[in-house]
Amino acid sequence: MSESGTPGPRDPQTAAAATPAGPGASPGSADAAVLRHLKPSGRVPAPAVPEPAVVDPVFSCRNVSVFYGAKEALKGVTLDVGRRQVLAMIGPSGCGKSTFLRCLNRMNDTIAGARVSGTILLDGQDIQDPSQDAAQLRARIGMVFQKPNPFPKSIYDNVAYGPRIHGMSRSRSQLDDIVCTSLQRAGLWDEVKDRLTTPGTGLSGGQQQRLCIARTIAVQPEVILMDEPCSALDPVATARIEDLIDELRESYAIVIVTHSMQQAARVSQRTAYFHLGELIEVGETDRVFTNPRHRLTEDYITGRFG
Amino acid sequence: MSRRALRTFYNLLALSLSGLATAIGLFFLGAILWTLIKNGVGGMSLSVFTAMTPPPGSSGGLLNAIYGSVVMTLIGILIGGPVGMLAGTYLAEYGRTSRLSMVVRFVNDVLLSAPSIIIGLFVYELLVVRMGHFSALAGAVALAIIAIPVTVRTTEDMLNLVPQGMKDASTAMGAYPWRTITSVIYPAARSGIVTGLLLAIARISGETAPLLFTALNNQFWSSNLGAPMANLPVVIFQFALSPYPNWQQLAWSGALLITLSILVLSVAARVVVSSLAQGGKR
Repeated sequence: MSESGTPGPRDPQTAAAATPAGPGASPGSADAAVLRHLKPSGRVPAPAVPEPAVVDPVFSCRNVSVFYGAKEALKGVTLDVGRRQVLAMIGPSGCGKSTFLRCLNRMNDTIAGARVSGTILLDGQDIQDPSQDAAQLRARIGMVFQKPNPFPKSIYDNVAYGPRIHGMSRSRSQLDDIVCTSLQRAGLWDEVKDRLTTPGTGLSGGQQQRLCIARTIAVQPEVILMDEPCSALDPVATARIEDLIDELRESYAIVIVTHSMQQAARVSQRTAYFHLGELIEVGETDRVFTNPRHRLTEDYITGRFG
Repeated sequence: MSRRALRTFYNLLALSLSGLATAIGLFFLGAILWTLIKNGVGGMSLSVFTAMTPPPGSSGGLLNAIYGSVVMTLIGILIGGPVGMLAGTYLAEYGRTSRLSMVVRFVNDVLLSAPSIIIGLFVYELLVVRMGHFSALAGAVALAIIAIPVTVRTTEDMLNLVPQGMKDASTAMGAYPWRTITSVIYPAARSGIVTGLLLAIARISGETAPLLFTALNNQFWSSNLGAPMANLPVVIFQFALSPYPNWQQLAWSGALLITLSILVLSVAARVVVSSLAQGGKR
């Protein structure tokens, strides 16, 4: 039931226009698997219309569950992340979206008592394979957190941290280049170029978050995970980060968790709605927001719930 | 009595009682300091810092004792500091809630409150008996054992104060735990760890009982770590109990000296902490 196994380039229009229980409900589809998973609960009327499959996904996740001790925080999520696009994950607090995000770079490993099941493939490679080194894996996946968390080091050393630990530069001038380019791409260079040696913690909240993004892209990851990156920022700083996400999308796959539906609508191409640990609906952002298929999704995005 | 008046009365009562308790505490602290200064300052002279401990009746100083105290405290912290820091690092960053950590934490707390004379006896059995004689090295080891639990506790507490988000950021960059600890967590907690070390030094520099069983004392100058070495606490102990006025005077001076050194260390620790707080705000 691998989505990538049947990369039929179905026309999104056709799929979106298909009626519930339409012909698109092939058992090979990932989203059909999700829906099938939901059916037995009987809570959700399941319109069995699959989204067009993601062709050549970066991440291919099948039936991923996460347990914190005996508590099942994430229940059998099947979801793909496409290249050079933004996937937004929305849903009420505690719905499992951050938990899912932390599966993608194995940050759940750092939590005592956390257990992940299911398969998560990054470029077709099982990231949970015991032979896979978590630190090496994380070098390929950048992460930006809810609260800006620069290291207690200079601006320069913050950005140079990743390249240094991964031995990415052979000379000082090469490192200078990486730092400069990363800060430029994060839209911070002009503001900090004259004070690279001052502490990163001395910047404003929005600048700190852009510094964290610069630090992340300095190691040229394949994917960037963002966990509510703007929730601690004011609207102006938020707008800057959103512009930045839009630019970064041209080179990276981005997965963003957000509590702001407007933000999800503004920055993402695909949106996934989570509810109580289950993936309820995933699809093109325009479609999910204008024509949600699940009552739960509709209730949430129209503000009746959550 | 109206309800309001009753509340005012209770408030006043609580305030007076806590004020009284504070006053009692401060009174004894003040009395001790005053007695020390009154009796100690008179004997303070250059010879205290330049001459050796004298025989009864003749004049002298505390140079060998000061030297011995500094040497044994330094070696003690050089042994105990790193061991304590590494153990504290294990508890805060690696072990956390593991069973081993729970046991180590409990044992450490027991060691923290163990009477220091027990530690002196332990090192006496361990080193002095086997070597056949008292020695400065045994004294330093006893002091190190006292410094370890203090350092373990402060290191763990300080590392726990480093925001989880900062640790996560480093982990998510693909850093191995040891790299995260040395490159991110230690720098973030540096001031706190230094403060802990200063407090450990303050703690061991005044210890008497463990040295009594290990380094003993020495009337003369000695820089031999394998031989008994003079030190301020034991000199104070012996001289204060003696019937000779010049020895008693030197004991007062030595006591004042130790108290002042510990005061300076504590103040230094406070300054470091406040600079940490300011650094964190920036």
